[in-house]
Amino acid sequence: MSKYEELTTKITEERFLIEALQELGYQPEVCPEGRPLIGYRGDQRHEHAQVIIPRRQLDCASNDLGFARDSTGVFRALISEYDRGIGFDDGWLGRLAQIYKERQTMAVAKAKGYVFKGKEVIDTPQGKKIQLRFAVR
Amino acid sequence: MKEKTVIIEIDEQGNSTIDLDGFHGKGCADVAKDFHGRDVVKTSRTKPDFYMPETAGKRQRQQS
Repeated sequence: MSKYEELTTKITEERFLIEALQELGYQPEVCPEGRPLIGYRGDQRHEHAQVIIPRRQLDCASNDLGFARDSTGVFRALISEYDRGIGFDDGWLGRLAQIYKERQTMAVAKAKGYVFKGKEVIDTPQGKKIQLRFAVR
Repeated sequence: MKEKTVIIEIDEQGNSTIDLDGFHGKGCADVAKDFHGRDVVKTSRTKPDFYMPETAGKRQRQQS
């Protein structure tokens, strides 16, 4: 073995963000120029986002949940305090990042010609870990 | 010859690891880079094979 690295996922690619949200059961709306988020009373909030889960797909008292690109190209989650409290919290965002990273990794591997050797889901005390194996041609 | 493999593990907190197996020398750096995307590298360490030039590795195998 020759190298070992630890990384923190940054969500930068819209395509994989959308796929990850779909895998979690949502149908996000995409608005490249960004649109204001809508609050639970139907009011327009001041935050704008490019990828949005409309509030109707969430709880009856939810606000829109959005992902907005910052100046560095990273998507930042815009989640109200109420929605964080009903489960759209750091744990949910971590799970989203896990699916995002899996999708991104599979796409990169395919594009670069790595040979997929298998996927395993490993139970750990910190939750499920996804292991992907590739061979180098 | 030992197969070169890439093992990527992704946890539920959005952290991942890249483990490169069977590589010699600096060739593994490009492979690791392929999988970085825009992610932040928190730690990176090389392992003993890294310091073994590929040609030296081949020579050793031919002798054995």
